[in-house]
Amino acid sequence: MAKSKNMVFYIIKRILFMIPMLILVLVITFFLSRMMFGDPVLNKLGLLPDPDIIAAERRRVGYDLPLFTQLLIYMKNFFTGDWGTSYIVSEGEPVIQLIGKIFPKTIELVIIPILIIPIIGVKLGVISSKYKDKAKDTIIRGIGILGTCLPVFWLATMLQYFVGHYISIYTYGELNLEIAFPNSISFSQYPNPDWPFSTGFRIFDSILFNDQALLQDTILHLILPMICMIFVSLAGITRQTRASMLEVLEKDYIRTARAKGSLEKTVINKHALRNALIPTSNLIIGGTAARLTGALFLEIVFSYTGMGFFMVSAIRLGDYVLINGILVFTALIILSGTLIADVMYTIIDPRISYR
Amino acid sequence: MNNLMNQIYPEELEQKNKIQRYLKFYLVPGWRNPEFSRTEYEIGKVTSKRRSFRRILKPLTLSGFIMLIFIAFCAIYAPWLSKFTVEVLTDKGVSGGEPFTPPSLEHPLGTTKYAYDILARLIWGCRTALTFGITTIMIAAAGGIIIGTISAYFGGWIDSLIMRIADLVMIFPALILLILFSQMIGEQLPIILALFGMLSIPPFARLMRSSVFQVKQNLYIEAAETGGAKSFKIMFKHIIPNAISPIIINFFGGVGAAILGFTAIAFLGFGDQNLPDWGTDINFARTKFSQYYAAFWPGLFILIAVLGFMLIGDGLRDALDPRLRVITKRMV
Repeated sequence: MAKSKNMVFYIIKRILFMIPMLILVLVITFFLSRMMFGDPVLNKLGLLPDPDIIAAERRRVGYDLPLFTQLLIYMKNFFTGDWGTSYIVSEGEPVIQLIGKIFPKTIELVIIPILIIPIIGVKLGVISSKYKDKAKDTIIRGIGILGTCLPVFWLATMLQYFVGHYISIYTYGELNLEIAFPNSISFSQYPNPDWPFSTGFRIFDSILFNDQALLQDTILHLILPMICMIFVSLAGITRQTRASMLEVLEKDYIRTARAKGSLEKTVINKHALRNALIPTSNLIIGGTAARLTGALFLEIVFSYTGMGFFMVSAIRLGDYVLINGILVFTALIILSGTLIADVMYTIIDPRISYR
Repeated sequence: MNNLMNQIYPEELEQKNKIQRYLKFYLVPGWRNPEFSRTEYEIGKVTSKRRSFRRILKPLTLSGFIMLIFIAFCAIYAPWLSKFTVEVLTDKGVSGGEPFTPPSLEHPLGTTKYAYDILARLIWGCRTALTFGITTIMIAAAGGIIIGTISAYFGGWIDSLIMRIADLVMIFPALILLILFSQMIGEQLPIILALFGMLSIPPFARLMRSSVFQVKQNLYIEAAETGGAKSFKIMFKHIIPNAISPIIINFFGGVGAAILGFTAIAFLGFGDQNLPDWGTDINFARTKFSQYYAAFWPGLFILIAVLGFMLIGDGLRDALDPRLRVITKRMV
């Protein structure tokens, strides 16, 4: 009883600690995005416009005010839910609405890797520690090391080339290929105006409203990035599980469990793995948070318009409002990820006391 | 004793094959001189002297060394290995050749965008990669050692302040920060290198901090404090030499990760265009699907360089302290 009370206090304390962190994040992202490069107004209007037009444009977006006034206005707007409107990339669209549109796409891309990676990673780590220095272990470690070293953009490019060249159902290009499925209106117009509502997730929508062409197209476009992501992200969890399993398997209670005649399966799965998973769990939750912020390179290579894609195009084009919004959103995800990781850690491992 | 030695190593044989034998002993893991096996005592004596060296030299680590030597060789002798200079390889439109040509005698691996020779850019790219990786991680490791030690030694509010700052830096994706900074600053390489080094400090500082916390418990620190040593001296003379091993182990993995990060930035097109860089090469040839080899070779070189560093890091970890965690935080 006392323990759960402690726990609630701990969580409240952590959330309160998050508030100054969040304000700092807001200030830092504001200055980062404002000082990004040159003048976004000049950048947008192009070469040699009329000085009056420039001044008018500056006044319109509030860029002529002193930086600290801008900061205060920005903070006020932020907490009232107005994150500004995108300046160049998707002009005039509110940033929060744009993020609401692209974040589901990123979730669609990463949700299956998020679910699969811990399962396969832990399994491979257990196998690797069980057959230490045997052939299986060597193969799994080799895969792990390759996964840590392979540049994911190169892997994706090569995979795209080979698959696109040799498998006929794949083509180069981005989502919404109207040529491939001319019958479905959802490609040119997503969400489809005939639908009563849209969840933002293509897979859900296509199942709900029975648009099989969209479903097939979405899934086909997700396979390659998912394979790349899973392959590259497996390594960390596998290596961590292997290391902690090897450490746990030498403990006395494992010897006791074996001596009293437990099955090897029970020893590994119940006695060893539960203890070995404690350090791994932190990695899993942190990795999940990091993955939700978008797979930058995969989205670039496969032209998948998720968070990472918009992040890079915002930086390239100088859309300071959008990059600001996305950075804050990313920081929010990672902050809450660390919070959840810490709380989960205290739940999983009862030996840890709440500070 | 002397007699025994003479019996086992006839003097002539020793003179004759000494270098060869020791070379074999050093380089071939698990190699045993057949004469050694007669007397276990002698083997034990000889191996114990070189035990740490032999523990490091596992096959995987050895292959890592070979990869690294290959990359370093290319980096050092780049002017001899390629007939093109950096000016030719980075000037847009000076070389005048045809872009994206298949391999020929003139260009053994073909050419890429702006008619740059791929092989020459690969060789010169070794220099870029090694300079980037090693410089940044040197900065990061030095900063991490100093900050982590100060944080752990003094504790209290200094510790919590430094750790909060580290948390704050780690909230933002390092790659995005770096891209933003490189857009802000322009193509000033030293500042970018220093910034990247500074952004990589937090993991090293955390590692050092936890290591110093362990060392701080030792009696000799207390003895030094009782003896009246200044805190500066205790930190730099007693604590750091004893707590530094995790940093050394993580140094190599860190260099690998830094090379990956820099090539990734170059791949996005935010790198320095005046340097031959593997990431830029991949970016050039990314959409040229008919000339995929122009993107294949630079990626292979990245893989070799990073793999070499990672394998050495792993080998060192296994040899020195198997329980240590290696923090190879992927940014890509």
